[in-house]
Amino acid sequence: MSVPVSQMWAVASYVMRQRLAGRTRYPLVLMLEPLFRCNLACAGCGKIQYPAQILRKHLTVEQCLGAVDECGAPIVSIPGGEPLMYPEIGRLVRELVARKKYVYLCTNALLLKDKLATGAFEPSKYLSFSIHMDGLRAEHDEAVCRDGVYDEAVEAIREALRRGFRVTTNTTLFDGANPLRTREFFDAMMDLGVEGMMISPGYSYAKAPDQEHFLRRQRANELFSRILTHPQRRWKFNQSPLFLQFLMGKRDFECTPWGNPTYNIFGWQRPCYLLQEGYAATFKELLETTRWERYGRKSGNDKCRDCMVHCGYEPTAVNHTFASWRGFVDTVAATVTGRL
Amino acid sequence: MTDTESLEGWVPAIGRGVTLEEVIERAFDYRGNVTVIKADGTRLEGYVSNRNRDVGVPFIQVFDRAGDGPFDIPYADIRTILFTGKDTAAGNSYAAWLRAKEASHQRPRTPPAPGA
Repeated sequence: MSVPVSQMWAVASYVMRQRLAGRTRYPLVLMLEPLFRCNLACAGCGKIQYPAQILRKHLTVEQCLGAVDECGAPIVSIPGGEPLMYPEIGRLVRELVARKKYVYLCTNALLLKDKLATGAFEPSKYLSFSIHMDGLRAEHDEAVCRDGVYDEAVEAIREALRRGFRVTTNTTLFDGANPLRTREFFDAMMDLGVEGMMISPGYSYAKAPDQEHFLRRQRANELFSRILTHPQRRWKFNQSPLFLQFLMGKRDFECTPWGNPTYNIFGWQRPCYLLQEGYAATFKELLETTRWERYGRKSGNDKCRDCMVHCGYEPTAVNHTFASWRGFVDTVAATVTGRL
Repeated sequence: MTDTESLEGWVPAIGRGVTLEEVIERAFDYRGNVTVIKADGTRLEGYVSNRNRDVGVPFIQVFDRAGDGPFDIPYADIRTILFTGKDTAAGNSYAAWLRAKEASHQRPRTPPAPGA
């Protein structure tokens, strides 16, 4: 596993503080969506289908920082839309780094080389570019519905690494993914020199154009088992090993929908990053008035039945690490040995 | 989602097989602009970004066509909602993209110009 020690310590101490304070619901990662605009229209994405006046809108930096302060999560993930299209992305990241927030800037990397050339960002242990890569060239270009994107992303990764930035990848795997090709993809990313990889099964957004290729739970377990059994020692994942074991079907977790709360131009999204069942005006209102019992597998909610996505289950895995000695020992063992 | 499932162009008749609450739910789920017709006859065209029915005075929130808002409108002030704008989530762009990709692979390549 590849999460830097300082980041692990920041998360661990934060979780311990929450537990000591007796808080049962607390955020780990703020999903901050400053805009919905994007320069791609990926088949599996349900985030960008809005009328023009909504796509033109974006949060102000002050609104973003207000949400960050209100939420208090130690990690801020900036997805979107494409965050490099946000006019004040450089200033936003500087402000977040100054607050010692660990920032994952999730980008398709099409604009990254230009942004780096203009000096919009400075390398920092708090900043990681999380590059969207859904596989090797053929698979990625198909997933993003445009040829040539893989090659541009690889160039941008090389340039970011050359300039001393932390670079990770985020990969969504859909039904039909080839385990062997995926393993080759992991090798390719390690060859490039990325710090670590993040993987997740796709979620069947009601608004996404491609409704045929999302993974059902059992098929997801089978696929991730075939991909992750006997992992190469050189593969590094920027996520909890317990979450990876969950994907492989070795653990049964329940969703923690408040773990990765989402803030965007509409407010605090209920109940999670994937479902849009309404918005709260404040984070406090989100936590206190969302009917959490309606979500997660145990609830019987059809929309949650097959979901295994990182934004709901990675917080569960992290909580599990600190909930018992067994969870802690299992996490340390997997981290040290690389075995899943 | 297929084109046939889109609500684009729907003019619901409240009380005849559909309630105002149901129409509001559909409007909240709709990824296009709608026209809210208020009880006083005035209209607001825009995007329904939110609705909250679990409060004392249930309301919707709308960003107008210029992107201003959100404007709060109580359920009680709404006569009906027309699905007037384009449904941006309708269609099957993945299938369309696959068809285009397939077509581009089948297209005969242009021979190089003499001397090239």
